Amino acid sequence: MSAIQDSSVVLEVSNLNKCFGNFVANDQINFNLTAGEIHCLLGENGAGKSTFAKCLYGAYHQDTGTVKVNGFDVKFNSPRDAIHHGIGMVHQHFVLVPTMTVVENIVVGVEKSGISTGIKDAAKKVVALSEKFGVELDPHALVANLAVGQQQWVEILKALFSGVEILILDEPTAALTPQESEQLFSIIKKMTMDGTSVIFITHKLNEVMQVSDRITIFRKGKKVGSVKTSTTNKIELATLMVGRGVHFEVEKETLEPGTLVMEIRDLSASSKDKRESLKSINLSIYQNEILGIAGVGGNGQSELFDAIIGIHPISGGNIYLNGDEITRLKTAKILGKGLASIPSDRMTQGLLLEFTVAENLILGSQWVSPFKSGILLKEKEIIKNAENLIKEYEIATSGPEQVAARLSGGNLQKLILARELSRDITCVMANCPTRGLDVGAIEYVHQRLVELRDQGIGVMLISEDLDEIFNVADRIAVIYQGKIMGEFKTNQTSREQIGLLMAGVTEGIK
Amino acid sequence: MTSMNNEQVIKTKLKIVKQEIRNPWIDLLAVLVALVAGLLVGAVVIVSSGTDATEAYGALYEGAFGTPKAVMQTILQATPLLFTGLAAVVAFRGKIWNIGGEGQFLAGAMMTTWVSIKLANLPQPILVPIIILAAMTGGAVWAGIAGYLRAKFRVNEIIVTVMLNYIIEFIMSYILQNHWTDPKSSYPQSISFAPTTYFPSLFDSKLHIGLILVLVMVLLVYLLLWKTPIGYEIRAIGVNPVAAKFKGINVTRTILLTMLVSGALAGLGGGTEIAGVHHRLRLDISAGYGFTGILVAMMGQLNPFGAIVAAVFFGALINGSYLMQIKSQVPVALVHSIQGVILFFLVIAFVVRQYRIRKVQIDE
Repeated sequence: MSAIQDSSVVLEVSNLNKCFGNFVANDQINFNLTAGEIHCLLGENGAGKSTFAKCLYGAYHQDTGTVKVNGFDVKFNSPRDAIHHGIGMVHQHFVLVPTMTVVENIVVGVEKSGISTGIKDAAKKVVALSEKFGVELDPHALVANLAVGQQQWVEILKALFSGVEILILDEPTAALTPQESEQLFSIIKKMTMDGTSVIFITHKLNEVMQVSDRITIFRKGKKVGSVKTSTTNKIELATLMVGRGVHFEVEKETLEPGTLVMEIRDLSASSKDKRESLKSINLSIYQNEILGIAGVGGNGQSELFDAIIGIHPISGGNIYLNGDEITRLKTAKILGKGLASIPSDRMTQGLLLEFTVAENLILGSQWVSPFKSGILLKEKEIIKNAENLIKEYEIATSGPEQVAARLSGGNLQKLILARELSRDITCVMANCPTRGLDVGAIEYVHQRLVELRDQGIGVMLISEDLDEIFNVADRIAVIYQGKIMGEFKTNQTSREQIGLLMAGVTEGIK
Repeated sequence: MTSMNNEQVIKTKLKIVKQEIRNPWIDLLAVLVALVAGLLVGAVVIVSSGTDATEAYGALYEGAFGTPKAVMQTILQATPLLFTGLAAVVAFRGKIWNIGGEGQFLAGAMMTTWVSIKLANLPQPILVPIIILAAMTGGAVWAGIAGYLRAKFRVNEIIVTVMLNYIIEFIMSYILQNHWTDPKSSYPQSISFAPTTYFPSLFDSKLHIGLILVLVMVLLVYLLLWKTPIGYEIRAIGVNPVAAKFKGINVTRTILLTMLVSGALAGLGGGTEIAGVHHRLRLDISAGYGFTGILVAMMGQLNPFGAIVAAVFFGALINGSYLMQIKSQVPVALVHSIQGVILFFLVIAFVVRQYRIRKVQIDE
């Protein structure tokens, strides 16, 4: 530890801002990195950590703020500039040519090396470096034939060859097996002994604790803290990550849960790479009740949502909606049985941005009367429907014929709400319905959810925001690595208890 | 944390930003620019070969629209292009890249030939509808192969449709030379079909009911795409297949259906060309109509009515080029290079129009 305190600052960022349109991705970020340090950037998806890293790497330009490398002000116009200043980045998705050999891939990326003479020298250097870091790698193997972990090592080698002193790793373990991850950690640790500094972006708490010297936590575009790893623990990090800021309290009267609306029994599912994404999930949703699903992002929430609406394949278990089994039915059938679905990514999963507002409002109902009669769509009814919903849901738009892409984020979400809630429904599933919205829109969504509950509809709210869960939900279930860790009435639990379960800690609950 | 440095000098610079929303006027401008550019490059080629460009283009115009007969010939020339253009409109609206219009056109022509030979004894009012159905079926089946592979196994439809073009070309060539050959001809072509297979002519001219058929198809394609739930689904998967899937649209089925409709239209083009114009199958029955159809669709902004204008334009270009060759010795092949340049600029314009230049504030 003392080594870190003594060593000099190699990278210093002050007051960095980055906006995309009206969305503030990075808000006044201050950050520093010392020589030989492993510094984790921790935060939820969309918290702004990747944006921040891309600003450091020259892929984005910050709107305001300064970056100093070794004490000198720098301004990067491209990743090439960043590499010149000794900053390299390994992206989540590798940028390798699969039909070329390891050493060819490395030589291509490095300037000033004559290809013919370069290859031999480079091959020797690749072997030497791989031995030093304890990786088995044939420099003349085709990249396409390498394991994912080896490909990542090639990416790191590319960075080392171009003389990188600061290495940024973006979610490096996302595609790795546990063994490969362990190897990666040992590589990184060896690198830092040579004075290289590493910025490690992740949202996995275990990794952070295992590998880092220092941790900077991002939340909703802001830096919420910087802590030494030795002085913190997973629970503190989880709370910092999901936040406990002041939120608007939602007015809510106590209601007794009514009849069972949706029942999920022993639901299991596997993702494409054969990983078990859902493990024997049991959940019940009742009338007049909001069930909150809390958890750190990427722990099976999307798989659960997708499995229920029939998009993610189910390997075991049953799902019932109003007593009817809906397991493995076609999506259209499931939704038609009275299930409203509000997906987490409204732009790609929820809407047809190039279609008009009116057209978006009938998505999924294009075969249903009154929007269809005979084989034709009934334009009059479609427009009338849109006019009514625009009024009822206060959607800010110039009219039914406006292209949806022109609407703001909050209004896009209102568009989805209007479409989903205006149908004949008994159950609502919402996945992160307030992500990326401004305060006013968040309040609106919360109020709508509570209204639905009051009307006797069963609501399932999946959220990575603990404040939101505690604010809105009547009952909370915690999901961690595809498993439900526990279920509590909101007024009988605490943030600490939920936070612990979200971090996967089941022992020592107060 | 809260101190913002407000004393920085705010400068502006021009920046290229992506724009999500399409402006129809800019789209139209893009088409016109591509068109003018194509003709200009053509002019450069003409001039560099020592001919007067205005004279050559004058002859081209005269050949296309100079006399009522020329106009009629242009319309005849535009008809198959409009069929294949409509085929591309339907497929491209669903972002299914059917490059196999050529092969589907030939499949339709071959089905028409087969029916014309086998059922020549049926009376015309019965045979003509059968020919129409057979031609559509041929094109639909040939496109359906690519559609099925794409929908079920995610095989890239561009590659499959292009390969299917070659396959059917060789199949057709084989059959023409071995089974359907006209014994009286040294050229690989079929016998001349019985008059019962002819599409009835219009106004006692060379024009035939294929013209009415194609205009009906324009209307039907418009209704299909914008007024029916099926068309809604085709356009939905073209815009955002993920959202379509999340809202229960059967993406697999819609892809297959799109390809079937697209193929049927191209196939009908092939059938019309035989039953309406040539009355026999020839090796060169399609002068690249399937490929020019892609151009027609793109220049027509993937709109069936726009495709009419584009088809007439390219029909005129092809038809007029014959007189141009006679009068000013500019070879017909020039038309291909003009078409190529237009496509080139259209593709550039389609990319460029996704961006716009905006003034942004920067701080130094």
